[in-house]
Amino acid sequence: MTNRLAVPFHHPLLRTLWRNSWVLGVWLLLFGLLIWYSTLIPVFGPFQIASITKNSLPLVYLAIGQAIIVVAGGIDLSLGALLLLSNVVAARCMEGQPAGVVAAIGVALVAAMALLNAFTGLLIHRSGVPDIVVTLATSYIWSGLALWILPSPGGGTAPEMRWLFTGSPSGIGGSYWPPLLMILVPGMLVALWARNTRPGLTLYAAGSNRTAAQLAGLDVRRAKILAYALGGSMAAAAGLATVAITGTGDPRFAVGASATLNSVAAVVLGGIALTGGVGNLFSVVATGVTLIMLNPILIAMGVNSNNAQVLQGVLIAGVMMVGGLSTFLRERRS
Amino acid sequence: MKHRSRTTVGGLLLLILALLVAGCAAPVSAPSAAPAADAAATEAPAQEGGFTIGVSNTLVGNGWREQMICAIKAEATASGLVDQVIVVNRNGGPTEQIADLEGLISQGVDAIILNPTDREGLNAVIEAAIAQGIVVVAVDQAVTAEGAYVVTNDQVAYARIGAEWLFETLGGQGQVVEMRGIDGVPADTDRHAGFQEALAKYPDIVVSAETFTGWDPSTGAQQALDLITTTDIDGIWTSGIDYPVVEQFQTANVPFVPIVGADNNGFVQQLLELADDGLVGAAVTNPPAIGAVGLAIALDALTGQNPEQVTLLTPALFDTSNVEGLQGLYAPDQQVGWSTYVNIPPYTSYSGSADVSACKAPGE
Repeated sequence: MTNRLAVPFHHPLLRTLWRNSWVLGVWLLLFGLLIWYSTLIPVFGPFQIASITKNSLPLVYLAIGQAIIVVAGGIDLSLGALLLLSNVVAARCMEGQPAGVVAAIGVALVAAMALLNAFTGLLIHRSGVPDIVVTLATSYIWSGLALWILPSPGGGTAPEMRWLFTGSPSGIGGSYWPPLLMILVPGMLVALWARNTRPGLTLYAAGSNRTAAQLAGLDVRRAKILAYALGGSMAAAAGLATVAITGTGDPRFAVGASATLNSVAAVVLGGIALTGGVGNLFSVVATGVTLIMLNPILIAMGVNSNNAQVLQGVLIAGVMMVGGLSTFLRERRS
Repeated sequence: MKHRSRTTVGGLLLLILALLVAGCAAPVSAPSAAPAADAAATEAPAQEGGFTIGVSNTLVGNGWREQMICAIKAEATASGLVDQVIVVNRNGGPTEQIADLEGLISQGVDAIILNPTDREGLNAVIEAAIAQGIVVVAVDQAVTAEGAYVVTNDQVAYARIGAEWLFETLGGQGQVVEMRGIDGVPADTDRHAGFQEALAKYPDIVVSAETFTGWDPSTGAQQALDLITTTDIDGIWTSGIDYPVVEQFQTANVPFVPIVGADNNGFVQQLLELADDGLVGAAVTNPPAIGAVGLAIALDALTGQNPEQVTLLTPALFDTSNVEGLQGLYAPDQQVGWSTYVNIPPYTSYSGSADVSACKAPGE
């Protein structure tokens, strides 16, 4: 991530801290916000922790998926539509089924969406058409398909599935451990995988400089397809989390579109360069939760809800500028 | 080798952070037990006032919904029992609304008024709020949650009352147009059912055309223009897209036919001003002031007056023969899309459109 820059520390621990300063920064920002939020409301307890973590799940999953694709040098505008598709298929098929069948449907959905988006990745690689164009087109296809599968909100899922993502069979007021683990474990696994394995590092190489990676003998095509496949499976997981939280399927286009935009915002805030090849995937877990938390915080501060969105945008811009400034100073020092 | 140790340290660091998340959670959760029990205890004794009201809406930029929120604020001010109104207003579906409702619960509101995005999807969070002693009122659309108060406009009656007036005015025979809203939306389905109920009583009325305006003024205007210039019609029933339709008669210079619309300010004005030019019509109410009714019911529940669990507002009809009634509705200072039927006795206590359009909650 910052290997190209000089590191002003010689102690290995300090160096690690320095290299991961953005990840640390966004996590500290999140903890700061959490502590601040806890002072704004009368009670901050298990209910609030469970509420924040479970409500963040869909965005965090989507943001992890987007981050993988962005690191590999792409961008996927269809992730929100894939979330819709996964959400409505799950709601439609899982209603009234026993836990075993529901689990099988969930696994099948994750696999199917991985395959579906791997195909999109292949299409982009083969055709040479920019990622943004192809995925914009597929986003319309997937959301149209979602409306066709479930024309109006409905469907359901098993209580066990709701417990897995929300900590309670009814979707509210349960233990915060299941959602907390569901939010941290996938993010950690993906981040460690990307930094420690050959295929993971190939994503970074392909995203950083495609030609150089190709000349170095890396399979750039496979990296792209793999990134899109992982992105698709994370979008499927986000759809499953949505059905677990709400207990219904919602096929509306606007839901998918805003989810896509939020996922890009989380990726950008997470210090993952849109040019590819740079960034730690674990930071998007924090920024995804941060984006979800902004709304209740601004409301608790008494900010008029019509102005809350403007402030959200200003905050994103502000954080990005601080990040840009620190990178600039770092480069100058080196 | 060096690289590997660096990433291991990095991984450990992330793990520590993760534990921090958990660690941070544990100590804060301990003292919360007492206040939570407190909240449950407040359920029984009725309070005198000083309430905090939460409002959840998930359709922003829609005139009807904005007026609904303003009616809640105006009634909160007029009631004198409310200290603060917290409005959570953003576009979204059930996922966003669940998060918003949980945010309102966290803020310790006394009552929540919501316009629900889903009939069943919000039940768990609504029931959790009620279990904490929060009064929950669903307005405009129903929820099936146990213990929630529901206040809705009777959409079946909305269409039936207007259609019966139209068929009666036409003397029980003729060709009419049914200009509906959005196919598949519950309100449209209910209104169509009401229209069919009325139609069944008048066998000589023929529906010559049925359109979907999407509740969009320009779409409705275009459809109306096409219809009145190409076909022979005796009457028009609209699902609220009314004043643009009347304008088309003037544009095309075609004699007016009897028309049914909603209590939109522009339509009420036309009914008053174009009556001399031969316009015959009726405005049927579909008041966004239902938000204020929801607040009145919430306050009744909070002050221990045990209101009805379900309130169905029956629409009122004002036709061109009722000049006094129409003048009472007409709000010259407001926009054409303003819903004029703002005073709903016995629930509302503010004084008319001016209070509602001021849109001021206590302390604002």
